[in-house]
Amino acid sequence: MAASVQRGRLTPLGWAALSLGALIMVAPLLWTLLLSLKDNAELVGHSDAALHGPYTLQNYAAIFGNSLTTRWLLNSAIVALGQTAGVLILASLAGYAFARLDFPLRKTLFVIVLLGLAVPSQAVILPQHELFAWLHLHNSYPGLILPGLVAPFGVFFMTTYMRGIPRDLDEAAMLDGASRWTIFWKIIVPLTAPAQSTLAVFTFLGAWNDYWWPLISATRSDMYTLTVGLAAAQMNYAQTSGLGYLMAQAIFASIPIFIVYIVFQKQIVRAMAGAALR
Amino acid sequence: MKRIAVALLLLLALGSCARGDHKTHIYLQRFFGECGAEYGGSTDVDHAEGECGIITTLINRFNAENPDVHIDVNVVAWPGYPQLTAQMAARDPPDLVTMHEGVISDYALKGLLEPVDWYLAKAGISTADFTDASRTGVTIGAHEYGLPWDTHGGLFHVNTALFAKAGLMRSGKPVLPNSAAELIAQAKQFEERTGKPYLIQSLVGDPAGAARNLYTYMMAQNAVLFPDPKHIRLNTPVGVQVATFFRDINVLHLGTRNMDTPGAIAAFVNGEGGIYPTGTWMIGSFQQEAETRGRPLYKSYAVFPYPRLWGNRVEYVSGHTWVVPTRKRTPQQREAIARFFKFMAAHNYDWARTGHIPAFKSVLADPRFMKLPHRADIAPLAAMGRQLPPYVQRQSAIEGLVGEEAAAAFTGQKSVPQALSDAERRVDALLGHLN
Repeated sequence: MAASVQRGRLTPLGWAALSLGALIMVAPLLWTLLLSLKDNAELVGHSDAALHGPYTLQNYAAIFGNSLTTRWLLNSAIVALGQTAGVLILASLAGYAFARLDFPLRKTLFVIVLLGLAVPSQAVILPQHELFAWLHLHNSYPGLILPGLVAPFGVFFMTTYMRGIPRDLDEAAMLDGASRWTIFWKIIVPLTAPAQSTLAVFTFLGAWNDYWWPLISATRSDMYTLTVGLAAAQMNYAQTSGLGYLMAQAIFASIPIFIVYIVFQKQIVRAMAGAALR
Repeated sequence: MKRIAVALLLLLALGSCARGDHKTHIYLQRFFGECGAEYGGSTDVDHAEGECGIITTLINRFNAENPDVHIDVNVVAWPGYPQLTAQMAARDPPDLVTMHEGVISDYALKGLLEPVDWYLAKAGISTADFTDASRTGVTIGAHEYGLPWDTHGGLFHVNTALFAKAGLMRSGKPVLPNSAAELIAQAKQFEERTGKPYLIQSLVGDPAGAARNLYTYMMAQNAVLFPDPKHIRLNTPVGVQVATFFRDINVLHLGTRNMDTPGAIAAFVNGEGGIYPTGTWMIGSFQQEAETRGRPLYKSYAVFPYPRLWGNRVEYVSGHTWVVPTRKRTPQQREAIARFFKFMAAHNYDWARTGHIPAFKSVLADPRFMKLPHRADIAPLAAMGRQLPPYVQRQSAIEGLVGEEAAAAFTGQKSVPQALSDAERRVDALLGHLN
């Protein structure tokens, strides 16, 4: 369907509606950017001061001064990339197993995985926290990454996608002497690239924006992720005197996501469209 | 791909590196924000400003003056209790934590906090030097469960220029009411002469403010808010009287409406009303406005405790404290904590520059403190301050529930008896679930 939408066929009214929608979407981001470029003292009581100059980069300079922001950024990157890589690997392997292999209790196990979709993370937070405490994994990268690897949605998603790939391909490869691993790695995985992209995008964004688990697992400042760090950095009541600095941190935190989107824009849009159509 | 994997493993290993010095390490967990960019390397307490700046430089200075001890600071998002609870569940709590007085009972009654009597004695700190408000805030039974660090509560922040225009200044001081009827009369006079609202109110998303008003004026009339640890009593003649008074202010259009906290702060700073009842923590920001030429508050700012409207001069307050979570510690760590207590007690004046009331009588009487702007006017808060009874748990959550219902009553979203009754029901349900 996406391919059938031709360029240049929008009416002026359509363009106007789209422009208005885009403006509404972009306005909060622009507002954040303008606030980040203002002197903090000027914003006390006058946040509309952001609409006119003078502007300054002092809030951004402060981030690179002596702040932990870059460390939090690194932590977020490690955790988000680690979780994304882990989920893709595990979900692909599990999906292949459920889609292609016959083994005892396969259906029962798949139902158990599906049940995981119905269990909110808050419901298991206490035993999960206890377990990680027992393993001495709090305040560590494994402690932040591992819980995110439990991804029933990813397994379900990859299983469904792989079931849609004709088995003839596997059989033809087998006739040529390919092993199970070769079939998985050389044939199935490349064919699931659109699904992998979709899952990667969802997992990365979820891990990058996660607040709840890092809040209680990373209890030392140097292990905070950006979401927790930025919340901790708020320095006073109702953010009356550090608004510009906070906004600069938010802009800084969103830059990696922005870059990822710009670089992988086509893949992301294709993945989203594919996911929607499937 | 391999290179990425190796880099990832190296980073993981780096994150697991242990310390190699021979100092006694103390983990301190606090809120008040992170301002390392401005104060990370500073030990100059005198020139630090704001809660974050002062606490950061104080800890830097402690580390500099105690080369055998190092305080490892962990800054948490306000108020930090979810993290603390998680740390306690993991049996890895910090050594020192900032805690509000009203929260101490939640942890102390479960044995999760150490009584600090030993640390106080070791540091040579006498509890007799604590202000009345501070001492009751950290005492449960026969023990102190924290080093009190300040008292904070609601204040009437006043725009004196508008008060002068309204004819409500005498001898350079604002005339504050001495009864509920007087407040209404003065508010009407203010409105007539200035065309602006007498009260700036943040009744949207600020349950603490609404609860503070209700608690304060019920306590002033000797109301027993918590007859026992499991029940609250608000829907009483006194409760109805207080809530109806704040409802009347809105019915008579004597206060701003539909404002959240940032909106109310902006309104006060821009001279859009006479009085903004909010906490001690705003003194610094407002005083800065009062010292800035060209701003609406320039040379036009004064601040006082809540006026007596009924009964006694009493005000609901809280305070920040330093508590010591229960865990195994070496004698050196215990000694270091005592040393930290002594240092912080000795620097309580520096903290009082934030606008909070000192926790020590000696600092309260210190001429340096009294010379700070407005401190002589707000110092009575240390004597008139009252907390909720120490046997009441979940005071923070209760404040949220009471505040929501009180705000609903003040703004007319619910009838006063209905809102107070709903508050009782919700709080009793919460307390009923506790062991």
